[in-house]
Amino acid sequence: MNALNDRLGWSLPSTLAAAIPFICAIIGAIIGNMPVSLVGGVLPSPLFALMPIYFWSLVRPDLMPPWAVFTIGVVQDLLGGGAPGVWTVAFVATYALIDRERDSFAGLAGFGAVLGFAGAMLTAGLVAYLIVAFYYFRFPPLSPIVIEIVVSVVFYIPAAYILNFIHQKLVGPLRSDF
Amino acid sequence: MANGWKIARGRGNAQLPLAIVAILAIVLVLAGRAQSTLFDRARTSFSDWTKPALTWISAPLDGAANWFHNFGHIFVVYQDNLKLKQENARLRQWQNAALVLNERLKRYQLLLNAVPDPSLSSVTARVIGRASRPFLDTMILDAGKSNGIKPGEAVVDDRGMIGRIFLAGNRTSWVLLLTDLNSRIPVMIQPGHIQAIMAGDNTSTPTLDTLAQRAAPKPGDQIVTSGDGGLIPPGLPVGVVISDGSGGLRVALLADSASSEDVRVVDFKIPPEQPPAPSPDDLPASAAGLKPEAPPAPQTLTPLAPPPVLAAPPLPNATKPSALATKPANALATKPATQTPPNQTPPSDDDDTANQ
Repeated sequence: MNALNDRLGWSLPSTLAAAIPFICAIIGAIIGNMPVSLVGGVLPSPLFALMPIYFWSLVRPDLMPPWAVFTIGVVQDLLGGGAPGVWTVAFVATYALIDRERDSFAGLAGFGAVLGFAGAMLTAGLVAYLIVAFYYFRFPPLSPIVIEIVVSVVFYIPAAYILNFIHQKLVGPLRSDF
Repeated sequence: MANGWKIARGRGNAQLPLAIVAILAIVLVLAGRAQSTLFDRARTSFSDWTKPALTWISAPLDGAANWFHNFGHIFVVYQDNLKLKQENARLRQWQNAALVLNERLKRYQLLLNAVPDPSLSSVTARVIGRASRPFLDTMILDAGKSNGIKPGEAVVDDRGMIGRIFLAGNRTSWVLLLTDLNSRIPVMIQPGHIQAIMAGDNTSTPTLDTLAQRAAPKPGDQIVTSGDGGLIPPGLPVGVVISDGSGGLRVALLADSASSEDVRVVDFKIPPEQPPAPSPDDLPASAAGLKPEAPPAPQTLTPLAPPPVLAAPPLPNATKPSALATKPANALATKPATQTPPNQTPPSDDDDTANQ
């Protein structure tokens, strides 16, 4: 197997490992936009797609390239049913912020990491809010997006454990250069 | 939690790709603003494709949600039962009154030869998904174009109007709820027949903008659809006027989109208005003070008929234009059959649909 991998110049496990963050975000977009609710639509579903973007943009930026963020945003917009491109721009803008301030974000741990995600979520929510305001030429009410931000931040706490588990158990061992 | 996080501190060398995808994302927004058909088609295709899974998933989840929602009601069943019995007795009286008034209305319409209300047909559909997102309030139905559902049609449950169809796939359709940011429908406030626009703002109580400046609706007034624009049938119950506490008015909706399971999609067709039959006085010649010319006979309009003017031989004496001018008038006088206006049979619905 190793000989074959050497001859081909790439290895299947390594490629799979590289795709896991992207797949996690796509699954997050699908789950987050599933049109079912246990609370009767009282609370919006969390922005699950942003969680893998934030996590792997800090932990392994090479596994979360800009084109992947763009594609995840398009999928989020497609499944969400809202105005096209809103979450795509929001995700790319958040990614740009994380990329620019990586040193600050990377130094956060524990509760600080959750606050870091809150900052990223705030950026995404603000950008989405402004684009929607541009889209409809009026400012929508703030409360729904604020609730969305709060719900997403709360859900990031268990999600971070799951993402960390996936990173440790799947992404790391499968990549020989990890 | 963060112990296992190995932070890669080096930049991903992603500045140029990042700039490219940022431009692409902005182009996507602008393209979506100009033309969102591609996105809409993709969404409806996706919901059509996932319909079996959605139906399968939503049934137990909706059941669980309803159970949670109604859990507190167990403790007030007795009081609710008494209240419902009283309400039922009152409603029976109102039902009798309504039946009598309905009969009387039919008699009056018959006496006045009034145009009857357009008939409504509807499709009953099941809610297989609902989503409440920051900028979108929607639900997905398990019926689409193959069931005769078209975008723009009103969606009602047994209490009142819920929203409108905004995307119709082959087997599923998306409903824009009245609470959504994009929802604006013409309504009428009763009593007083006050025209207004009800606009959603992603809160549970849409706003109400009256069109007449002197109109003064009060909290408690009933709101029904006005039917303006011809898309939504008039008279559908919508809600009750409430005060928002700061001088503005909002609408407490009668329908509860969170708990609706089966809804009706109402197909509303206004019959095309028939123009009055033209009389000789309506012809331009009469308006100009000239003697009216008979409308051409139907058979002369057929393409096979030879054009009379072009086929006529040249006049031997070109100095007699009056003879030319009077000839049609004489023909009119001597051929009363040609005065018969063209067939006035109203076009059928099929013709009208085809024209649309």
